[in-house]
Amino acid sequence: MKDLSLIRNFCIIAHIDHGKSTLADRLIEMTGTVSKRDMQDQILDSMELEREKGITIKLAPTRLIYEFEGKEYTLNLIDTPGHVDFTYEVSRSLAACEGALLLVDASQGVEAQTLANTYLAFDNNLETVPVINKIDLPSARVEEVKEEIEEVIGLDAEDCPCISAKEGTNIDQVLKAIITKIPAPKGDVNGKLKCLIFDSHYDNFKGAICLVRVFDGTVKAGDKILMMQTGKIFEVTEVGIFVPSTKSTNSLSAGDVGYISASIKTISDVKVGDTVTSAEDPIEKPLDGYKSVQPVVFCGIFPVDGAKYGELKDSLEKLKLNDASLQFTPEVSSALGYGFRCGFLGLLHLEIITERLEREFNLDIITTAPSVSYNVYKTNGDMIVVSNPSSLPPTVEIDRIEEPIVKVNIFTPPEYVGAIMELCQNKRGVYKDMQYLDKKRVELVYTLPLGEIIYNFFDSLKSRTKGYASFDYEMAGFEKADLVKVDLMLNGEKCDALSLIVHKDNAYNRGRELAEKLKKIIPRQLFEVPIQACIGNKVIARETISAMRKDVLAKCYGGDVTRKRKLLEKQKEGKKRMRKIGSVEIPSEAFMSILKLDDDK
Amino acid sequence: MREAVEKDISIYIHIPFCEQKCNYCAFASFCVSESEKEKYIEFLCKEIEKRKSSRPVKTIYIGGGTPSVLSEEQIEKVVKAVYKNFDVYEDAEFAIEANPNSTTEEKLLKWKKLRVNRVSIGVQSLSDKSLKKINRLHDRKMAIEKIKLARRYFSNVSADLLVGLEGESGKDLSKYALELLSLGIKHISCYLLEVYEGTKLYDLVQSKKYLPLDDDKTIEAFNKLSNFLVDKGMERYEISNFAFLGFESQHNLNYWARGDYLGFGLGAHSFENNRRYRNSDKFSEYYESKVYEENLTSKEIIEEEVMLGLRCKLGVDLEKIKNLGYDLTKNEYFADYLRQGIIKRNGNVVTLNPTFYHISNTIIANLLP
Repeated sequence: MKDLSLIRNFCIIAHIDHGKSTLADRLIEMTGTVSKRDMQDQILDSMELEREKGITIKLAPTRLIYEFEGKEYTLNLIDTPGHVDFTYEVSRSLAACEGALLLVDASQGVEAQTLANTYLAFDNNLETVPVINKIDLPSARVEEVKEEIEEVIGLDAEDCPCISAKEGTNIDQVLKAIITKIPAPKGDVNGKLKCLIFDSHYDNFKGAICLVRVFDGTVKAGDKILMMQTGKIFEVTEVGIFVPSTKSTNSLSAGDVGYISASIKTISDVKVGDTVTSAEDPIEKPLDGYKSVQPVVFCGIFPVDGAKYGELKDSLEKLKLNDASLQFTPEVSSALGYGFRCGFLGLLHLEIITERLEREFNLDIITTAPSVSYNVYKTNGDMIVVSNPSSLPPTVEIDRIEEPIVKVNIFTPPEYVGAIMELCQNKRGVYKDMQYLDKKRVELVYTLPLGEIIYNFFDSLKSRTKGYASFDYEMAGFEKADLVKVDLMLNGEKCDALSLIVHKDNAYNRGRELAEKLKKIIPRQLFEVPIQACIGNKVIARETISAMRKDVLAKCYGGDVTRKRKLLEKQKEGKKRMRKIGSVEIPSEAFMSILKLDDDK
Repeated sequence: MREAVEKDISIYIHIPFCEQKCNYCAFASFCVSESEKEKYIEFLCKEIEKRKSSRPVKTIYIGGGTPSVLSEEQIEKVVKAVYKNFDVYEDAEFAIEANPNSTTEEKLLKWKKLRVNRVSIGVQSLSDKSLKKINRLHDRKMAIEKIKLARRYFSNVSADLLVGLEGESGKDLSKYALELLSLGIKHISCYLLEVYEGTKLYDLVQSKKYLPLDDDKTIEAFNKLSNFLVDKGMERYEISNFAFLGFESQHNLNYWARGDYLGFGLGAHSFENNRRYRNSDKFSEYYESKVYEENLTSKEIIEEEVMLGLRCKLGVDLEKIKNLGYDLTKNEYFADYLRQGIIKRNGNVVTLNPTFYHISNTIIANLLP
């Protein structure tokens, strides 16, 4: 008979760079889950990109077996993504656990992300165990950080494990804390089936796979299961656990963490946060907290080579198989041709997807500047959601526009408070609160338009605080704002892919900066080309690209033909990265240039 | 121009010797001893004999280097080798390159006797200061003297001018051009000064001891010179070449029309039936008859047709390249360029408007398949 008291389900929450993946590696190593031979650094970060960026995007659970005081324990580690874009995923992972390790860097202390995720852990009634990492660093200030944890978070850090995951110091104390401090799961093995889907991924052979935590009951191959949100019914073909690669088992029952595969063809049928129950004997009420995730940041993605539209579509579909939160719909731009308007959970998510398209699918793509989605109320009473600046209706048809607002928590050393306040002010922020957490840390709370956050906020914050400040945000509804669309005209023709929606007060500056920037980026053309930034028909800024002067191979006689032909071929090849707007050729980087406008200039 | 006969060919002969290397020169040309020259002439004549052909020859061009450094005996040997092994039309164009310094009346007489009928003189500039700075052996006075001398024996004399030399504006160049025309010059080649790495001039430019015109100024000067020449009744029949009617270089037009030609001598290129091949430009390899080859793909053939046709008045024959598999009119730039007056269409022939020659790379690259 299964003894639930020998199971612990836990996760690790940490700010980026505080050593979460390294600790996970050490735990796997110490428990002998993966042989030394197969061990590679940061084993749970399975994507190449994750390892490179040093961040975890996708959750990768694993089962650890550890003997403690003569008993063999099963420890299920559910790794969590550490980034604000994936807060919902974090919260679902947390809901699958009874406890969390709160990993804090001994030199950095508590950061915005740490706090945000710790609150999420509290919300999920998790037993939270602080662990101080990187004690090997010369800059480690263990005692102060302990105090910080106690003061800021309110957790007892007196005798918490102080470790160096990198050097493998005191890892056994972590394992001991997991077993002694985190409660064992409760649940009825014989009850009605109740599982939480905390993640999913797509396998080419098995279809969509649900990563689940079983709360009650037992599930095995052949069972009919019901997805409570989607109402879909499937027959289970296989269940199993992660070691950390998948290993099939006879069944999964209350307390277990594992996977269910049921020949599910589409990943959208598997919704993270959904409850799985028996189709024949279902439970009445699903687990709490299900939320359908909505993208908040949008951008256009187009193939550099128009002929690769089909390939781009296939690639996005493949990515979506493993990432239900990625959304895309076809878009046609007069400047960029056929492509897709894509929705993301945040800027990092956007960056990851575009990088994967380029790296894993070998596509050359053009991304337009990111935008948020606006609620546009028309004079005829309709409300439309606009996530593409070029689809904003004409001004006369607009009654009002509402933009998404976020609540931002910023953690910073006190000396940067002034600079941050100025930044938030510039970004149309509204001050809410400020708290001295201790002598060295201040928490600032602002509400800001999301559109301003995606426009250079992170870089500006980092540069104004020498990288010391951290921030986190959550959606906080919509607010009316005085927004206008700025269009860019090249040689008198509107370039839809360069339009942007900005606050009226910033329109003039952004328009001017964009025109200046484009002048630098766009090479000389055959003729002189005017660049104009306009609001409606009103020109607010103008620059001119001068005509090309010298571009000629002067001599070409008998011996020069081949060399010259190759030069011209090369020149033509370089043109593939150019887009034509009317008769003006624009390098593909220009379309991202809106993003790179320097606010702090 | 002669009625085109398919089998006609042109002959190019390379003389890789100079009395002194100009400091902007990046070509295969060397200052060598008399015995080296003899050895070369010997081998060159053998090469001509070895590669003899029954195809009639419509143009001969002896270029370099500086062919005028060869003695009368040496040049005679080479030319006789051609006449012995090839059937040259009576009225074939026969051109030789010369510089003022090594051109003498005796040589001019010899050339005339050998049926040379066109002399191309490397004048480059008519300013003593400029000539000295680029290490030319002649000065203004000598250039004028030798042109006069050449004109005494030849009606068809061409001169080269360099555009972009330090301090030389379009106005200066137009003044030189006027002098050249008044001396009876019928053809002028205007080249942009190019500073190649590895040349002496390159080092001088790097260390700011020589300040050529910048790109914008160079083109400004070129355009001014070009307008001047066109005003005087010359036609800009190719990017770098201006001629009075009937004085165009037939030899070079054959290159741009993709006619076949045989090249003899060090580093000389040949083109036969869409096959390009060349002799090595290293003496040791040349003397071992080493040849480098390239067969053109159908796409490359089309690219050549477009590139060469557009850079001169011959233009591109739409029907011809359509038969090769490329419909230029379907190119995304074609209609725009036509509308903007960048290219002109006359029946099946498309030409580039000479006003845009100075930016022809972009235009041609865009019109490639």
